[in-house]
Amino acid sequence: MVTIEGLKKQYGAFALDVSLEIPAGRITGLVGKNGAGKSTVIKALLGLIRPDGGKVTVFGKEAASLRAADRLKIGTALSNSGFSAYLKLEEVVRILAKFYPDFNETAFRRACEEMGLPFGKQLQHYSTGMKAKLRVLTALCHGAKLLVMDEPTTGLDVEARGEVLDSIRRYAAEHEDCSMLITSHIASDLEGLCDDLYLIHEGKILLHEDTDVLLSEYGLLRVDAETYARLDPRYLLSRRPEGNGYLCFTDQKRYYAENYPGILIEKGGIDDLILMMTSAEGRTLQ
Amino acid sequence: MNILLNNSSMIPLYEQLMDQVKNGIIRGDFRENDALPSVRALSARLRISALTVKKAYDRLEEEGFVVTVHGKGTFVAATDRELAVEARRRAVEEEISLAVQRAKTAGLSRDEVREIMEIMLEDCYGND
Repeated sequence: MVTIEGLKKQYGAFALDVSLEIPAGRITGLVGKNGAGKSTVIKALLGLIRPDGGKVTVFGKEAASLRAADRLKIGTALSNSGFSAYLKLEEVVRILAKFYPDFNETAFRRACEEMGLPFGKQLQHYSTGMKAKLRVLTALCHGAKLLVMDEPTTGLDVEARGEVLDSIRRYAAEHEDCSMLITSHIASDLEGLCDDLYLIHEGKILLHEDTDVLLSEYGLLRVDAETYARLDPRYLLSRRPEGNGYLCFTDQKRYYAENYPGILIEKGGIDDLILMMTSAEGRTLQ
Repeated sequence: MNILLNNSSMIPLYEQLMDQVKNGIIRGDFRENDALPSVRALSARLRISALTVKKAYDRLEEEGFVVTVHGKGTFVAATDRELAVEARRRAVEEEISLAVQRAKTAGLSRDEVREIMEIMLEDCYGND
């Protein structure tokens, strides 16, 4: 559904060089710290910026040459909804209805009500959370085949995050062939949603892994200096000093569990992945 | 279908899911030809990735518990329940045998191993 091959974009000292692929029916997460290049990838994918090199194809066509009919099949939730702050939700509904031939007004109104979005209020008086919910609901309202969501849960409290994630999951269940690209720096949100994850750092993809494998095979080893010295370094991806020992990140936690009885092993989450793979001291092993 | 997954367990989610579906089949909660939820529906309900569910369904198919009909869904296969119970028993035996061999390598005596087993049995089954 989406192929990005050697996408290059230079902004001053920042150089993006990314390849990734999203097959049909796949929910892919793009994680990384602020400024890692997540939004640049999304802009290139939507044809909003001109790449310096490489190839971006969506629905088998070059991103820059997508026609209106193709774009109608893409649902987006970007950092700004694009609606004037003076509009009321009631007016947004009318715009969406004109804009998308497949706009599902009944479902959209119901979802807005469920999420507590007032129809008669101007968007400028919406809270940060309400605006975030509206951005996601807008992406989900017209039967898109590809959803591109940039930080859909930013600015939301725990409860609202759960609601938004559930609405995305429900959409996925009702549209089995639909693909998604979701970015986040609150990575734990993506653990229960994305099939696979790309970790981007300073414009490069550091790691691509199935979420499932990440959660079951990756882990954190907490070891003192003495244990560290006899630890087989083959499957350690990174380490950082901690107390009088080390915190090590591995993609083979079972190997260490079996060969070093009694060793302290914690499950590796996506947040650990980002922290351990992108911090300067964490990367000393690479 | 009542499925509870433990996110902080060291057992991979797909294995937990497989075990619970198998248990359901062995207990007779699902009958032959019953449809399992679609991959994405179950993934939404359990809040785990669809690929995790797919992995569990694929393995269950390899082991003969379910059949996936392309475009239709995943269904409970005609399983011989006794055979399934027997397979589980064999798997348990293999794991215990592995543990016993390790105990021997570690230099534990017969009685020490027995003692460990007794304590564990008591913990798990209770004192009767």
